[in-house]
Amino acid sequence: MLPPRHETAGGPARAFPSPGIKLAAVLVLVGFTALLPRQVNWCYLVPASLVLGAALWSRPSLRHLVGRLLAAEFFILGTGLLALFSPASRPLFLAVFLKSNLCAAAMALLTWTTPFHELLGVLRRLRLPGVMLSTLALMIRYLPLLAGEAHRMQRARASRTFRPRRRIVWASLAEIIGRLFLRSANRAERIYLAMCARGWR
Amino acid sequence: MTPAVEVRDLSYRYPRGRVALEGVGFSVARGESVALLGPNGAGKSTLLLHLNGLLPEHPPREPSIWIDGLPVAHGSLHQIRQKVGFLFQDPEDQLISATVFEDVAFGPSQLGVTGPALDALVTRSLAAVGLHGFASRESHHLSQGEKRRVCLAGVLACEPLVLVLDEPTSDLDPRGRRQLKALLRNLPVAKIIATHDLELALDLCSRVLVLDEGRLVAEGPAVSVLSDETLMLAHGLEKPHSLFHRHPHGPVDGPA
Amino acid sequence: MHLPDGFLDGKTALLTSAASLAGVGMAVHRLKKTLPPRQTPMLGLSAAFIFAAQMVNFPVVAGTSGHLVGGVLAAVLLGPAAAVVVLACVLVVQCLMFNDGGLLALGANVFNMALVNGAAGYLLFMVLRRLVPLRGDRAVVFAAVMAAWAGTVAAAFACGVEMACSGTVAWGVAIPAMVNIHLLIGIGEGALTGLVVAAVLRSRRELVAAVRGGGEGQRRGLVRAGLPMAFGLALFGAPFACPWPDGLEAVARRLGFEHRALLPSFPSPLADYHLPWIGSVGLATATAGAVGTLTAFLGAWWLAARLVPPTAAGKDDAPAAP
Repeated sequence: MLPPRHETAGGPARAFPSPGIKLAAVLVLVGFTALLPRQVNWCYLVPASLVLGAALWSRPSLRHLVGRLLAAEFFILGTGLLALFSPASRPLFLAVFLKSNLCAAAMALLTWTTPFHELLGVLRRLRLPGVMLSTLALMIRYLPLLAGEAHRMQRARASRTFRPRRRIVWASLAEIIGRLFLRSANRAERIYLAMCARGWR
Repeated sequence: MTPAVEVRDLSYRYPRGRVALEGVGFSVARGESVALLGPNGAGKSTLLLHLNGLLPEHPPREPSIWIDGLPVAHGSLHQIRQKVGFLFQDPEDQLISATVFEDVAFGPSQLGVTGPALDALVTRSLAAVGLHGFASRESHHLSQGEKRRVCLAGVLACEPLVLVLDEPTSDLDPRGRRQLKALLRNLPVAKIIATHDLELALDLCSRVLVLDEGRLVAEGPAVSVLSDETLMLAHGLEKPHSLFHRHPHGPVDGPA
Repeated sequence: MHLPDGFLDGKTALLTSAASLAGVGMAVHRLKKTLPPRQTPMLGLSAAFIFAAQMVNFPVVAGTSGHLVGGVLAAVLLGPAAAVVVLACVLVVQCLMFNDGGLLALGANVFNMALVNGAAGYLLFMVLRRLVPLRGDRAVVFAAVMAAWAGTVAAAFACGVEMACSGTVAWGVAIPAMVNIHLLIGIGEGALTGLVVAAVLRSRRELVAAVRGGGEGQRRGLVRAGLPMAFGLALFGAPFACPWPDGLEAVARRLGFEHRALLPSFPSPLADYHLPWIGSVGLATATAGAVGTLTAFLGAWWLAARLVPPTAAGKDDAPAAP
């Protein structure tokens, strides 16, 4: 679940170009790919080769790349199959399939080379509203903690669940989510105090 | 010499009316280390939160606390918080930024430090707590002890006069505890340490305050107070093991 | 329900992005005016919470599992403006950090999940809460359950419309496919939302924005936020002429949401809900919709009655909160 350890990830693309340029490049690439015509033709080679080039430059681990693509596949294949039910179906399906995967690969490379807090810096320079910036910053800081708490609660509950009937499963899920919210609220209070103690206004 | 911290007749009630602190008064000299002991629920954390104005929620009409001569009141809160460095019990609550650098820079950047001066300050602060080269690390990848030290660096970066620590060695392993002790011993600032770790109190502090049910029930040199077994047991504490083999008035190797 | 890139065409992506920008912009503006600084960390923590909650997968039909969107949950607990901002942030992180949802499709995803599910779902919550002949917290829980269910279906509907408008999937396939499966998944969302809201009401009632009052200003703000949404929906809904193909048998659709499971899902065989003798997909969708609505209604009523003790049921908030 957790993103790759960016201390070592990213290849040469980790340091260069800057996060802003990487984001802009991926945006352009994705935009170009998504707006390609609905028939697969030579135009598709452009994004394909760009993605290949980016992959060589950033040296993603196979696990990361394949993992992200596979995760995207669920929706792409599932919904892409629905595309088969329309007239002129097969070429459309192929086009959608290729486009989505190329875009997904580009995004996977972005994630591999650029940890989110760097992208957050870009968003800050783009003058994203302060309330969103602070929400994003605190979210990525505390997400692993909350996920860990949820996991520990679930593990504790599982050690006392002897007959996993549906009702118990649902009740446990809801209880865990509810307690997670309460713990989050408590922690938010403490964080507020800690921020004030360090001079935040 | 103006004391670093002076508290006079501090009282506080919780919003629901229960008495949390009653008539607490003490002072801490510059550079002095004082331990705050007491059973759970005695009001230690509540007392500490008063020292940098986080409590009470609505500023009192008459100040009861002076930091370096400055009364803790509504208008002076930001200066107070720069003079009083607060290390919270759970580093997870204090380490709010995604990277170490950002977190240590949080305080100083509010005080107007920017650019290369900020970088230098962060580097110095991290070095002071033994975390060279940690600036680019991500917060959630650190160990508990490392997180605590990053928090300490962040607090030290604001160059406080007084360091207030709430249970600094809880949830640290023995090595983490030794490292933190060594760090704290070398810091020249005044320290107020709320702790259950009686050996730590003995090692680092020259004086202890014992709080129980919101009242200060004992105050004095660390060795004398901690050797008083009756007093200790009466207030939910105990005599530290190392004192069982030590005469209370004999030579001690101990705090600065 | 996170749309990847490549499924939307230029105009759809542009329109939904514009609507999202407007909606989120309004929410931010509202928060700037009304959010006390003390609550700022709560937004961040709530975003992390919603993210974590979205990772929970609950069993739907044998094998498939569904995920919470959490729009109505967030809106009931935090208020609609905060919910929109929180959900938008969650979607941004999911896109840029976990590659869940496309970059160009971010506008559409924010529209579907933050605005349609969150804000519109909350509007429905407010309406239901007033209309239902239950009192106090029971009304809150009931409205939360139904609004969460309906909000999920609505978001899925919007998603289907976007895909169909882009010409990626035929109208007659996209809508039934998305709507049908979410009629079922929505029940999970409704149930979980109700259970969680009830739990929080029991332990720390003051944390639930929906029972804090605040009335008139909130309602106005919501109406204003509803405008870009309504505009977007109307624009998409208008050209909706749906020649549903005849004779399409029930297709086992596995839209496969099962990824990044945080908690292991316990397999739970639920009886297939689709009525086998109905041939036309259109009729099947309508029937499923009606059955789903009734089920959701009854389920919501039952949950509200079970989860909220009679004493709390009688507790009405001082100013009649919308």
